[in-house]
Amino acid sequence: MAILERSKWYDLARATNWTPRYVAESELFPETMSGSLGVERSKWEAYDEPYKTSYPEYVRIQREKDAAAYSVKAALERTKLLENAAPGWLSILKAHYGAIALGEYAAMSAEARMTRFGPAPGMRNMATFGMLDENRHAQLQLYFPHEHCKSDRQFDWAHKAYHSNEWAAIAARHTFDDLFLARDAISIAIMLTFAFETGFTNMQFLGLSADAAEVGDYTFSSLISSIQTDESRHAQIGGPALQVLLANGHKEEAQKRVYMGIARAWRIFGVLTGPAMDYYTPLSHRKQSFKEFMQEWIVGQFERSLIDLGLDLPWYWDKMIEEFDYQHHAYHLGVWFWRPTVWWNPAAGVSPDERDWLEEKYPGWNDTFGKCWDVITENVLKGNIDATKPETLPIVCNMSQLPICAVPGNGWNVRDYPLVHEGRTYHFNSEIDRWIFQQDPSRYRDHMTVVDRFLAGMIQPPDLSGALKYMNLAPGEMGDDADNYAWAEAWRNIAATRRAA
Amino acid sequence: MSMLPIISNFQGDFVLQLVAVDSENTMDQVAAAAAHHSVGRRVAPQPDKVIRVRRQDAQAFFPQDARIGDLGVQPMECLEFIFTDAA
Repeated sequence: MAILERSKWYDLARATNWTPRYVAESELFPETMSGSLGVERSKWEAYDEPYKTSYPEYVRIQREKDAAAYSVKAALERTKLLENAAPGWLSILKAHYGAIALGEYAAMSAEARMTRFGPAPGMRNMATFGMLDENRHAQLQLYFPHEHCKSDRQFDWAHKAYHSNEWAAIAARHTFDDLFLARDAISIAIMLTFAFETGFTNMQFLGLSADAAEVGDYTFSSLISSIQTDESRHAQIGGPALQVLLANGHKEEAQKRVYMGIARAWRIFGVLTGPAMDYYTPLSHRKQSFKEFMQEWIVGQFERSLIDLGLDLPWYWDKMIEEFDYQHHAYHLGVWFWRPTVWWNPAAGVSPDERDWLEEKYPGWNDTFGKCWDVITENVLKGNIDATKPETLPIVCNMSQLPICAVPGNGWNVRDYPLVHEGRTYHFNSEIDRWIFQQDPSRYRDHMTVVDRFLAGMIQPPDLSGALKYMNLAPGEMGDDADNYAWAEAWRNIAATRRAA
Repeated sequence: MSMLPIISNFQGDFVLQLVAVDSENTMDQVAAAAAHHSVGRRVAPQPDKVIRVRRQDAQAFFPQDARIGDLGVQPMECLEFIFTDAA
């Protein structure tokens, strides 16, 4: 029997809206779960997903993708990645797996919410596949690094990072809970699939896959590109949802979700991807600076997506682009200095050649961030490692859960952006973070940063050792300099050469 | 006499930090407490300068010998620590 072409039956088969007789429409699709902003369900039938697939097609393609990724892993299992890879690259893997793998399960729950409560049939259809995608991503990213657990405790720790009170894990959870785990279906479509995935993860995974191939980690490269092909499909759930909202007079509410989503995604990418691209990746393998990457993908491409949909650019757009010059440098300095509090070994990335590269890509770097690294380098060369480690906590932003930091040295522009709400003072990294809080204070007001918990006596003893205990990091798990300070030795040699000259 | 946590925003440093001081401390002692976490760690020492303290956005510095507990500084208020020429 001949099989009908998909285009002949797809629209009919996915038309699964019906008129409930035994319950009210509002009970079947409660607004808190659906989030359709009062747009009638009949209007949502205009939702037209750009990527159409059937379940048999989906299963066939996913099976092929899984087979390809697992066969690359099996073929390369005996290569000695841990022995041969640059220490900075291993740190990228540990940070990635710890911060992302279990977040994929949160994304799966979010897709499931769209599958059940999405007001448009096409959305529910697409989200069903998205839900299966995210489950696959979580399982892949837990299974692939598992082979390293037996030889490296930090890989082992990365598996539990998301369940811990480690500060970066709190930052990841806070962001992902806000963007998609604790949102209604339409907000998830906008904030997860449009703002986070179309804007950031799609391009991030493309870049990460290329970087992995460049450093010779073909297992990770094939894993990430396998995930990316799913992302590029289900990331398209949000665009048509925005079109329906815009067509029905809800531009302002739709935009607000986009703006919040982009702002929160930018912080997470700033702390994870920024240091990875500009410091951890060995110099010889760097293709682009993080800033160039952001300008190409966020300013060049995502900006066009916003405009094409009929959205205005966020009010903070210029400010965010300005941050491309410095925010990730500040996060990197913070992660390196507070390195005992992370589960990977940060690569300082400030050897003489690397600093030349930073100065070329970010003119003025030596006069700003370089000033702090000068002091650190001098301490390392003197063997005064204690002075390169913290004795107190950084102040953490009440929105991003990341340290409040900016430009040091001769461009010093660090400041607090406080807000008093119901008698409590909150501290933010910028007016952007503060603006997010102000959009829905009751949503955020009760959360306590690591510093709030410290001041409330929840961290004992009240010092760095207590904080490490609270984060559940033990010696052998807590981070140290990835290269055992070899980068500083190059400066000693330069100083000796100069003296001899 | 009581513990007062403040936020240190130290000139030339890149991050805000938590610093615990005593309400009886003079502003010079508060400055020294903040300097402990920045100077010689990420900020180069400037031995010929004096570190003065002011509120964020303020122009005027607190008197060096004033006690922080008498100045109305709130717990977790952000203070700026600035290198200035010795008087």
